[in-house]
Amino acid sequence: MNLEWSGQERIPAGRDVVWAFVNDPAKLATCLPEVQQSSVLDAHTLEATVGVALGPVRGKFKFKIVLEPRADGNHLDMKINGGGLGSVVDLVAGADLSTDGATTVLDWKSTASMRGPIATVGGRVIDAQAHRVISQTFENVKNRLSASA
Amino acid sequence: MTTTAENGPRHAIGVAMKRKEDPRFIRGRGRYLDDITLPGMLYLALVHSPYPHARIKSIDKSAAMAVPGVKAVITGEDLDAAKLEWLPTFHGYDKQMVLAFGKALYQYQEVAGVVATSREAAADGAEVVDVEYEPLDPVVNPYQAKEDKIVLRDDRDAKTNHIYHWEVGDKAKTQSALDASEVRIKERIVSPRCHPAPLEPCGVVADMNKATGRLTIYMTSQAPHVHRTAFSLVTGIPEDKIHIISPDVGGGFGNKVPVYPGYVVATVASVIIGVPVKWVETRTENLTTTGFARDYHMDVEIGATKAGTVTALRVSTVADHGAFDAAADPRKYPAGMFGIVTGSYDFPTAFAEVDAYFTNKAPGGIAYRCSFRVTEASFAIERGMEILARKLELDPAELRRMNFVKKEQFPYPSPLGFTYDSGDYAMTMRKALDIIGYEQLRKEQAEKRARGELMGIGISTFTEIVGAGPGKQFDILGIKMFDSAEIRIHPTGSGIVRAGTRHQGQGHETTWAQIVGEELGLDPQELLVEEGDTDTAPYGLGTYASRSTPVAGGALALASRRIREKAKKIAAHLLEASEDDVEWKDYKFGVKGVPGKSVTMKEVAFAAYTNPPPDTEPGLEATYYYDPPNLTFPYGTYIAVVDVDRDTGAVNVRRFLAVDDCGIVINPMIVEGQIHGGLTEGFAMAFMQEIKYDEGGNNLNTDFTEYLIPTALETPKWETDSTVTPSPHHPIGAKGVGESPNVGSPQAFVNAVMDALAPLGVTHIDMPLTREKVWRAIRDATRPEAVEG
Repeated sequence: MNLEWSGQERIPAGRDVVWAFVNDPAKLATCLPEVQQSSVLDAHTLEATVGVALGPVRGKFKFKIVLEPRADGNHLDMKINGGGLGSVVDLVAGADLSTDGATTVLDWKSTASMRGPIATVGGRVIDAQAHRVISQTFENVKNRLSASA
Repeated sequence: MTTTAENGPRHAIGVAMKRKEDPRFIRGRGRYLDDITLPGMLYLALVHSPYPHARIKSIDKSAAMAVPGVKAVITGEDLDAAKLEWLPTFHGYDKQMVLAFGKALYQYQEVAGVVATSREAAADGAEVVDVEYEPLDPVVNPYQAKEDKIVLRDDRDAKTNHIYHWEVGDKAKTQSALDASEVRIKERIVSPRCHPAPLEPCGVVADMNKATGRLTIYMTSQAPHVHRTAFSLVTGIPEDKIHIISPDVGGGFGNKVPVYPGYVVATVASVIIGVPVKWVETRTENLTTTGFARDYHMDVEIGATKAGTVTALRVSTVADHGAFDAAADPRKYPAGMFGIVTGSYDFPTAFAEVDAYFTNKAPGGIAYRCSFRVTEASFAIERGMEILARKLELDPAELRRMNFVKKEQFPYPSPLGFTYDSGDYAMTMRKALDIIGYEQLRKEQAEKRARGELMGIGISTFTEIVGAGPGKQFDILGIKMFDSAEIRIHPTGSGIVRAGTRHQGQGHETTWAQIVGEELGLDPQELLVEEGDTDTAPYGLGTYASRSTPVAGGALALASRRIREKAKKIAAHLLEASEDDVEWKDYKFGVKGVPGKSVTMKEVAFAAYTNPPPDTEPGLEATYYYDPPNLTFPYGTYIAVVDVDRDTGAVNVRRFLAVDDCGIVINPMIVEGQIHGGLTEGFAMAFMQEIKYDEGGNNLNTDFTEYLIPTALETPKWETDSTVTPSPHHPIGAKGVGESPNVGSPQAFVNAVMDALAPLGVTHIDMPLTREKVWRAIRDATRPEAVEG
């Protein structure tokens, strides 16, 4: 099952501040919803255990998250692979950063493929839930930066 | 003694005797596989691939081995080292991986097994077996497979997904007859992938006794003797050291014919560890890995005259077999009995072909409550005839009547090579039309159509082919498809009856006793029937493909007659008459011309042990291995009446009548029960069930929330009746019935819905006819642009 989502966050902070934040796995980990446990492996990699409750698929999923910033500082890819309970999720979230006055605009786009029992839960349920998790992540990024701004 | 109108005066046959097995089933005292617990038993859980197609890069057992209670983790590599990684499939064309080795070829394929001291510990261990996969693009439908852009089986020499081409009939003659036809129809008719989904899933308890060197395997098996031979061939363990016991089985429907990886892994674990190992699959494992049914994509073409006489039939089929060719078909018949596709109609010429392909889906293609591929064939021809009737603007019952094989044509050689034994199709259809009030229903339909209401009447006048089979044509693993019976009559006139079949709810413990009781004049209540234990039952090919009554039923009757021959000698001795003067009449031995002088079989049985004639060995028992001379051809007329809701697509099956002709009926109550069950399955196939895969190869129907089983709420009320046309070659004239309702009903439902939608111009919708599909068809047909266009 392949899914796609996109969205935009307007963050009242400078682009450099936003860029530094999203490139820091420790900080980013605090923005992931439902995280039960996380550990930073290196400057670009973290592992997170996330609670999942999608219909009959209930339990913990373990993800490896790799940050791949583009050298020009305008684009970041976040690759998330993992799963649990016999299911596998492969997700890529890409974020483009641009400046609009004092605001940094974060345009994000995400694609995911899911396999195993999670794929049978039904497209609409997963679609809504996964969309919520991803938009929540970027919204949390905005909230954290807005609070510190 | 009971007299039935159809069968004449009978002692035990034709009697609606209550099922002897039911008291234990109703009271929860059956003994099913999961009821078996042996001392020191370990439990097996399996690890499944989340990917439909992936290379296995590594399997790390360490985390699983660290789980408390886990004793062993078994992988395909371990099995390969023991030369147990590949299993032969039943017809011998292909082999099947036990555990994914090198590559996983379908989602949920078994990748490793974890053996532990409890079911929970095994499941916990399976959860943490760390398998590293390299995902590959999957092949998810047979048309994609045909392109060979991705070839999934790299273990085979042939670098193609094509498995086989099979054909029957006269290709050239059929082509020219079709070309010359005044009227011609062509439709792609799909019999979608579905699953038998028995309520009891599959399971095994393997018990290797290292002291005796004997391996006892309790398994949910429809064919325990064949499984014993298969286990011996695969493992090299001598067949006398293998004891298979199939305990009470909670439904099989063809699903419990193949050998599954769980059976093998549990057995290997027991052989290595030397303690019993149990594996019972989950519902999801049953639906995602064990034998599915159908998945036949059939292009059906019929030629006819303008008046409605059929002139030719051609059916070209693409079959999706999944990752291995594990279809349980007889060796010489890769597409089973698909040649029955001419159905009840007298086609002057016909041609059928099947091309089968591998895909990244679960393997199977088993005979789900039908003789091999008969449901698919019957669906194709009955839908085709309906579509032809509409094109010709003929009443579908009239078109069928015009083209039926006539009573006087039997034995009827079909253009696709079978010889139908007996039938009177026109008589049976007439009876069904009269009972349902066909003409009145057509009038009602015309009135409703005038008001814009959608009412439909669907007919199916199917012919089945069952009872495989003649050993010269049919074998499994090279073993001829005979069956067997062994009868021992005790001194007091009761007895034990054993057969090579294995019932899964069909009622053999009752019907077999009735056959023997009828033949010997004994009380069926005093005849104990035993099946399923390879140490005690005579060798048989098992129960599937409606073969039990046609084949084992024949063996039972003929073994009884052997007993009667010996009994006659003893009777002559008791009656002090010459054997030539003794006759079997009214269920007793008497002396010709001497009324009142007779002995019963009970008296003879006592004498067999206490007072046998001087030249006769004591005892009263016989065995018979019956290889039938032909198949049997049960048939019937089914009629469905439906109302379709224009706004929601909901279909209400208002009436459903099944008039079956299965030859001589042994127990009318059991036959009626069989028909109710099969119709309910046919209803489910028509309206609710499909094993669907998405474009990524994900199985979308992995439990009963997604794969629906009709309850009493959805199931229509069934009306049943019968006609009796005995099989001329079967020892008691019986044909078998268990599968007729499953084979004959789906097309009656679909024909009814298509008849309801006919005023909108809808010709065909593939099963299952869900509300959504029906609603979409109505919406698409009634859109303003559709009307204008």
